[in-house]
Amino acid sequence: MSFKNIFKYWRTVMIVAEMTLRHLINDSFVIFGILVQPVIIATLALFMLKDSAQNAAMFVVVGSGLSGLWTGLVFVSGNSITAERWQGTLETLVGVPMPFEVIVFGKNLANVLLSLIAMIGAYLLAALLFGYTLSTDQPLLFFISLLLSVFGFISFGLTISPLFVMYRSVQQWQNTMEYPVFILAGFLFPVLLLPNWTIPLSYILPPYWAARALHGTSTGNAPIETTLFAWGMMLLFSIIDLIIASRLFKVMIYKARVEATLDVQ
Amino acid sequence: MKTIASNLRIFWQGTLLSYIALFGWLRPVTYLATKIIGPLMQMLFFTFLGTFATGSENAQFYVIGNAVQIAALSGIYGVTMSVGGERWAGTLVYLFGTPANRMMMFFGRAFMHIIDGALGVVIAFAWGLLLLGLDLSRTNLPALGLTIIVTTISTCGLGLLMGCLSLVTANVGFVNNTVYFLLLIFSGANVKLSILPAWMQATSSVLPLTRGIASARALIAGAGIQEILPLLAQELGIGLVYGLLGYFLFKWVEVSAKQRGTLETI
Repeated sequence: MSFKNIFKYWRTVMIVAEMTLRHLINDSFVIFGILVQPVIIATLALFMLKDSAQNAAMFVVVGSGLSGLWTGLVFVSGNSITAERWQGTLETLVGVPMPFEVIVFGKNLANVLLSLIAMIGAYLLAALLFGYTLSTDQPLLFFISLLLSVFGFISFGLTISPLFVMYRSVQQWQNTMEYPVFILAGFLFPVLLLPNWTIPLSYILPPYWAARALHGTSTGNAPIETTLFAWGMMLLFSIIDLIIASRLFKVMIYKARVEATLDVQ
Repeated sequence: MKTIASNLRIFWQGTLLSYIALFGWLRPVTYLATKIIGPLMQMLFFTFLGTFATGSENAQFYVIGNAVQIAALSGIYGVTMSVGGERWAGTLVYLFGTPANRMMMFFGRAFMHIIDGALGVVIAFAWGLLLLGLDLSRTNLPALGLTIIVTTISTCGLGLLMGCLSLVTANVGFVNNTVYFLLLIFSGANVKLSILPAWMQATSSVLPLTRGIASARALIAGAGIQEILPLLAQELGIGLVYGLLGYFLFKWVEVSAKQRGTLETI
């Protein structure tokens, strides 16, 4: 891949991300999923954990923020291709001289970045309404964890969006995909509470490693080795997701061009 | 006599057809995902969160609260879709063009959702028994059944009001989702009402579900039906008030839309 191509792709990613952001902030469904719902979950958790330790509030802020990221991933990134089908723009996008995954990457970037608003909303709630003094014990490590989480979520989103558009039976389970990941990834409580047989399921979920890294660095409870290991797992899963996504996009484009069934609802 | 028979026919046909119409998009798999697996996931999440926060001895508090709160799935989303769906399907014009009794037509939209919603709560309790250690050994089961039906009726009353909002706003999905999630806090499903600020407690007291959940918890703890009847009467009253508010809004929407020619404006 030449530098010229990298520049061209990057420019496309940025333009798509900007357009997607403008679109998403006017969508009340998106605003509910990435801001209202996480803030309500944070309110509930803060009331529940009222008598717990001070760092429980930071745990809630990060956990409910992650819940917003996941909701955004399932409903917005998951639908990033399906939405084009609904709007009748899918064939045009598939036909432009730009890899389709680059366009979807830009859409997912916008969604994941916007979903971070969930963490800001939960932070303001805990600080202003519940009166907690919140700070991260390892700000640099937290910031790096956040960057890797964003990359991990975008990569994961790239695998689910072609799945949703090609296998509509998978999309029928979309509404039930939120809570299982909230539970298995340990967003708001440790996975140690769960039965032992669920632990391997947690390990294969990229959001679990994101939660480990972000919780560990925000509360300062995790040793550096644990954080480094979580980063490594996030990078590993991101690479695996990108490889799978690349394969899925090829299959999807094949279906679009050969079977011409892409726009069939 | 003929009028009564005609009104009953309108009620029943409206009830049945609006419910069947939902399955135009709600496939069996979607129903399984939304009404059977989804509630289990909600119960698991809040039960684990609650036991993490307050100890495993309180698990039953969260299991019962969330099982009863499942009534809001049918009560809010189902009823809203049945009422508001007329607008999206383009059938509102014909509906308002008929000389049918509006009250029968309106309340008929909620009837099947009461049955479906009550069934959903029973399924949620079954999940509680099978997976979450819910103990019903001291429970007056017929009284619990009555509680489930009354709570579902009252939640459908709120759903009727929300459904009418969907006739005047395009953002009803946002409003529905927000109300459903706020009920998780305000109904006392997941938080003891006594720890909430006074204004939140006052809001709880005028919402459906609050007393239904309290009744279910009392019954499962061993209370008799006499102890919960006042709560159930209030729960039913609150549901009827919401339903009537919805009905008056429905009438207003009809008159206003006919006057301004905005019946199908989205």
